[in-house]
Amino acid sequence: MMAQPVPHQTTADKKRVKVYELRNNDWFDRGTGFCTACFVTIQEEQKEPRVIVQSEDQPDRLLLETKIVKEDGFQKQQDTLIVWTDNGVDMALSFQEADGCQAIWKFIDHVQQQFQAAMGGPDDGLSDDLAMDMPTSIQLPPAELGTLIDIENTLRNLSQSPSGRDALAKAIMSEDYIAKLIPLVEMAEDMESLGDLHHLCNIMKTVVLLNDTGLIEHAVSDECVLGVVGAMEYDPDFPTHKANHRQWLNNQGRYKEVVRIQDDQVRRKIHQTYRLQYLKDVVLARILDDPTFSVLNSLIFFNQVEIVQHLHMTPGFMTDLFAVFGDPTVQPLRKKEAVIFIQQMCAISKNLQPPARQGLYGNFLQQGLVPVINYGLRHPDVTVRVGATDILGSILEFDPSMIRKTIYEQTHRKQAPLTDALIDLLLVEVDLGIKSQLTESLKVLLDPNVPGSGPPPENREGFMPKGKHQVSSDPQQDAFIAHFYEHSVAKLFKPLLDLEKRPNMKFNALEDGIFGYLNEILCFYIRHHTFRSKHFVFDHNIASRFGQLLACKQKHLQLVAIRFFRHLILLRDPFFTKHLSDRRIFGPVLDTLLRTLPRDNLLSSACLDFFTSINYEGDRELARHIMENYREKVVALSHVDYFKGMLMRWDQSRGYTVSEVDEEDEVRGVGRGAMMEHLAVDQAQEEYWNSVSDDEEENHHHHHRRPTGVVVNGGKLPLVEYTSDEEEEGGGGDAVMTTTTTTTAVDGGGSESKENEKPVVVVPSTPPPERLSEKRRREEDEDDALDRLMQHKRRNSSSAGSNSSLGSSGVGGMLRKKGSFHNNNNNSGKARSREGSPNGGGGGGQKKIAISIAPVLKTAVVRAGSPAAEEGGREVRGGAGI
Amino acid sequence: MSDLDRAIAQLRACRPIPENDVRELCHKARELLIEEGNVVTVNAPVTICGDIHGQFHDLMELFRVGGDVPDTNYLFMGDFVDRGFYSLESFLLLLCLKVRYPDRMTLIRGNHESRQITMVYGFYDECLRKYGSANVWRYCCDVFDYLALGAIVLGASNTLSEGGGGGGGTAPVAGSDVEIEVCNADQQIISRFLRKGSSSASSSREGSQAGESQVGEGGSSPERGRTEGSSNDAAGGQPTTNGFGDGGGPPAPTNTGPPGSGASGASGGSIGNPAGAVLCVHGGLSPLIDNVDKIRLLDRKQEVPHEGAMCDLLWSDPDEIDGWGLSPRGAGFLFGADIVKVFNHRNDLSLIARAHQLVMEGFKEMFDASIVTVWSAPNYCYRCGNVAALLELSEDDSGLGVLARSNGDVNRSDGMGGQGSRGVLMENDLLGYNTAGPARRYRVFQAAPQDSRGMPAKKPVADYFL
Repeated sequence: MMAQPVPHQTTADKKRVKVYELRNNDWFDRGTGFCTACFVTIQEEQKEPRVIVQSEDQPDRLLLETKIVKEDGFQKQQDTLIVWTDNGVDMALSFQEADGCQAIWKFIDHVQQQFQAAMGGPDDGLSDDLAMDMPTSIQLPPAELGTLIDIENTLRNLSQSPSGRDALAKAIMSEDYIAKLIPLVEMAEDMESLGDLHHLCNIMKTVVLLNDTGLIEHAVSDECVLGVVGAMEYDPDFPTHKANHRQWLNNQGRYKEVVRIQDDQVRRKIHQTYRLQYLKDVVLARILDDPTFSVLNSLIFFNQVEIVQHLHMTPGFMTDLFAVFGDPTVQPLRKKEAVIFIQQMCAISKNLQPPARQGLYGNFLQQGLVPVINYGLRHPDVTVRVGATDILGSILEFDPSMIRKTIYEQTHRKQAPLTDALIDLLLVEVDLGIKSQLTESLKVLLDPNVPGSGPPPENREGFMPKGKHQVSSDPQQDAFIAHFYEHSVAKLFKPLLDLEKRPNMKFNALEDGIFGYLNEILCFYIRHHTFRSKHFVFDHNIASRFGQLLACKQKHLQLVAIRFFRHLILLRDPFFTKHLSDRRIFGPVLDTLLRTLPRDNLLSSACLDFFTSINYEGDRELARHIMENYREKVVALSHVDYFKGMLMRWDQSRGYTVSEVDEEDEVRGVGRGAMMEHLAVDQAQEEYWNSVSDDEEENHHHHHRRPTGVVVNGGKLPLVEYTSDEEEEGGGGDAVMTTTTTTTAVDGGGSESKENEKPVVVVPSTPPPERLSEKRRREEDEDDALDRLMQHKRRNSSSAGSNSSLGSSGVGGMLRKKGSFHNNNNNSGKARSREGSPNGGGGGGQKKIAISIAPVLKTAVVRAGSPAAEEGGREVRGGAGI
Repeated sequence: MSDLDRAIAQLRACRPIPENDVRELCHKARELLIEEGNVVTVNAPVTICGDIHGQFHDLMELFRVGGDVPDTNYLFMGDFVDRGFYSLESFLLLLCLKVRYPDRMTLIRGNHESRQITMVYGFYDECLRKYGSANVWRYCCDVFDYLALGAIVLGASNTLSEGGGGGGGTAPVAGSDVEIEVCNADQQIISRFLRKGSSSASSSREGSQAGESQVGEGGSSPERGRTEGSSNDAAGGQPTTNGFGDGGGPPAPTNTGPPGSGASGASGGSIGNPAGAVLCVHGGLSPLIDNVDKIRLLDRKQEVPHEGAMCDLLWSDPDEIDGWGLSPRGAGFLFGADIVKVFNHRNDLSLIARAHQLVMEGFKEMFDASIVTVWSAPNYCYRCGNVAALLELSEDDSGLGVLARSNGDVNRSDGMGGQGSRGVLMENDLLGYNTAGPARRYRVFQAAPQDSRGMPAKKPVADYFL
């Protein structure tokens, strides 16, 4: 594995050596050979440490075989010499290479240490394995260039066992060993001794990966940090490269201070946190193991919380900060930095406990945050605009009512509300990130479901009783929405409304981006602002406006239109279906499909998806509308199974309501069939039933279903009876229907066996996996899943520090809202439930993840898990491990 | 040199291109992808690749082993991003190549091509670091929404083309007999598996395949009874060994039907339809999709949903079970051999190629070679120690296997598809044409050598206030 290649030198390696014996005060050469040092079994269970030298010329002959005994007084002299007294005779081994000498010496030294520690003799407690538990207090080799190999080996050996790591961490701290090592870096650099630098790098890595909080904090202290990262610039894994960590961290200009932070300790903490992030993201990125990752993360986290809390509590600091914006003499650069400063505070504040977070935001708002946001939104520099939308986003995510209150005041005082500023920017902004955050904000601020008071309880997101949204609980919010519809909504949707007078449907790149966002906002408003949005859609003939987009050249705009129509269809609201048919929308969509269909592309698929979303059983009127007005188009499309079936159904039932309700009910009771056809039948019927009884439910944003996904998917299935026509039809390649086709409509797979001589594999009739009870459970579990997700998210964002404009996709926004209620779980989030990381502490841990976490979760994100849980889940279970 | 070529050159050097260029690129890609069906039709020859996961240098190694674009026609089955340190460069390079050579490069969506997943598993952070804002991430996510959900490979030959083993390989075997060939990165043949019923004895040490490449797994890499049975004696040609007959291997899969039913693997050759098409998806099958054309009814331009057909295609896994099972991933399903066989039969597929799961050997055939997992990220996450593979399907030059697909993809097959009929995937009357699915050549390769990958690290935050 490449993460940390351990040059494994066993003591059994042969080292070329000359053996000397002192005779008559003269060293007598006994010959040249290869030296080994190891435990030799002399009897059963009896082992002796011995040094053996095999003759080079005659491998069978031993030049030396000596037992290592305590009394012999082995000594290492210089780099290549080991001397001792063997039964009164002075002996010496002269090694050809220092490495070899070192290796043999390590063994001897180790054995001698054992003698001192254990006194029990070599046969008890000694084994071949040198990496055994070490005594709790240890002696580190002196920090010198000459002993680097020694140090490296000692550290590596000790760090194998938990007790060794503890002892090592203690020893390094108590001896201030890091400080002793640091000068060696420059010395080695001066000598251009790459080997030493590589050893130093390995040593530093081992020290940091000891994963001791105190040690890591010490390593990033002002005194040590440059030396520590300096050593790690020379990674032996990349012998040809040198990193420039010191240069990066030494650049004082990176630290910006908008308002002087008086407390030295806090300032130190800020620097330290930055270095920790650097360590985590850059220096150690490749080799970080899970425990160290979580230690670094929690250090960063606690530091950040402390810093923000301190600044929040420091009297006068906030006033000074916001005074920057009021002072006309202040340089624009400083104002810009102040916005980004607040942005970073908001990013960090996401990790605070809710009361602290509330306090901080309250403080911000009291100091005049809304004008600052306003200032930022209009700033020419995009980073400032990003900052402003980000700040707004963090507060909205936590508690939109904090911002809403200001907006109520603004409208009360007849000032332009903040929403107007958002709209203005949305319409002209070029930055996609800002655009989607603004979209998100305009949704949240206009959400009529205002909680009673205080920080939002769970039910804001989740478990509102059905239909409650009809009664807006907050008259102020209601008044604001009324005001919004009166003054702002037309401005917001202006690009859409302007289409009416537009001579052509040619858009430039700047213009055409807006419609997707407007569609998203409008769909939200339609779901939530029942009568007002209906009025708006109706009065401004919105369906026709979107219909116009079908005529433009850009396919992605046509897609926007179709998506809007499908949204209305899926609401299953007679008002909107009627609106669509009154505005004769189905014709253009059919035309679009006809125009596109020879091609199999995204547009044709979207059109088909639209039509398969229509529930003809539930809305006979709509079916009639389409058939009576566009029959020729449907006929023209009848080479598509779906439309063929539609025609057939229509011709068969001719205006009569099909009275198969009771039968279907029975079928449904049976449960989802085993054959896929049956499954699909049930789905389609379920959709039908849901659409009747859950009409209301689908109308507003209730959350036990996915806001977008589920409904759509249910509706995506074509009515099943037509599905298995496929084979017959394809065989002929034309639209002529055989009688078989008709029977197929009734009998799912029957025709298949007729068609093929080969025996057909029958699907064993196992019920499809997702039983209803399970499904319900899993839906409930979503919340847990979301929490977990949030913790992951938070981990990332907090560590990123520059958490600019996180997640503004629709779902992301929702998730953030949810996550914000669970801050008290921070620590577990910090401690990183190991899912996010690929690394493994071994198969065991990963196995646990794959089994204990993954099955419960439903969210897409959490399931991604560690590679074990994700891609290798089965491998791990199979016992392979990764 | 066009801007695009310049961008390609820059990305090949693993240097990100400027934000504006990314926007431009994504814009072009969108126009191109919007014209692709949910299931793209690709004609053989094609080289099919699995997950990449931001391992840029290994992607370069992949191109070295598999041939460069546009000389080789590539199909990537998703998961370009996350995990590795170079998601951005990897994805943008693939996208550039797609825009530059639309016909030689097919990209389909993986479960990691999603906003939610990339926020957690690295791509988002990487973009933020490399550009200082999340815009590039947004551009890329927009493109993700347009990526096709699957691909159908038509016209794959049931014999291997020349050139797999280059020099240094084993003695040539009658090409038509070879069903599977495994090569290493140096173009040497590691092993060959003959078609069942072939008279010639198998060539190079078949057993070595099982012995060497499996890492702690139960079954040998091409998980077929036959190869397991032949690991000691070269009995490659014995048609009698089937799912039940492999004594030495792991317990025979219990999900096979009665002998002779077609589900047991005993009915000769690979199960699946001869010369049939190959379906490529990232994850697997969905209970909501019983037929490939149903995939075409999805409006795919959306974030990957949490459930439903689109989600399942990107999340499901095959497993040794009967029917469908809950997935431990929490999304998608597990599906058994029976499901695959029925699906392949119904859709005239000879094989489903998918990615999504790490396999230590780089590839793994399951269920009588009716489905294969291809994994193209060697030493996954820089520490899993696995090898990677790509799957080559060669072109059928007999003229019998190639069928133009009538519903045209633009730039593919016949663009306008005159007849306008949405035909079945393959003509039924080809059933008797040959005896097994396409011949498959797997090229197995290792992680790019250390020196060439530079120092992986994230770009640190430049300025800080707190």
